[in-house]
Amino acid sequence: MTKATRPSSELPAYLSHELRNALACIQQFGNILIDGLAGELSGEQREYIGIMLENASKIRSVLDSALDGTERPL
Amino acid sequence: MDNKKILIVDDNADIRLGMHVRLKANQYETLFAADAFTAVTEARKHRPDLIILDLGLPAGDGFTVMERLKHTPFLAVIPVIVVSARDGLGNQKRAFEAGAKAFLQKPVNDAELLAVVRQALGEPAGIKTHAPAHKALV
Repeated sequence: MTKATRPSSELPAYLSHELRNALACIQQFGNILIDGLAGELSGEQREYIGIMLENASKIRSVLDSALDGTERPL
Repeated sequence: MDNKKILIVDDNADIRLGMHVRLKANQYETLFAADAFTAVTEARKHRPDLIILDLGLPAGDGFTVMERLKHTPFLAVIPVIVVSARDGLGNQKRAFEAGAKAFLQKPVNDAELLAVVRQALGEPAGIKTHAPAHKALV
């Protein structure tokens, strides 16, 4: 369904679904890097990825509180 | 002993790759499917020890996959963990009714995913060695 044809009632569920998938990728690969699964990182690199993951967690908290309960139509 | 085989079913290639890297680092073998039809075909062909299943899929959805698995005795016994970006409220209940062993909402915590995987496979809880996993085409 395109943006133009999607009913506005479905928008929160759509946003929640899409943002959660994108966030899952950010967190997955951030943790892969932090855990050294793609090679060792310098202390500075680890610190920056840590900041990235911390902010990803904040986005998740916002998502959970703002969009929770917006059931995706099946 | 052979590594346990896990079929990752998700239409998002990045999610599949991320799970592959994490699971491979924990000595699991991974298989992939990006749609409901391929999920059942791969399960039938490779008989995985576990299926990690997204709900929103092309060619059917995760519930369709679980329904199809149920109809074949050797597939019906494979534990299924649902990992979905869909709202957890209604879908979690429906997933358990369909036979899922666990429901995790994306974004999933890696430690939680591994714990659920080990539990579903009947393995003891604990940390396995993290060997670096190389990026592979998924």
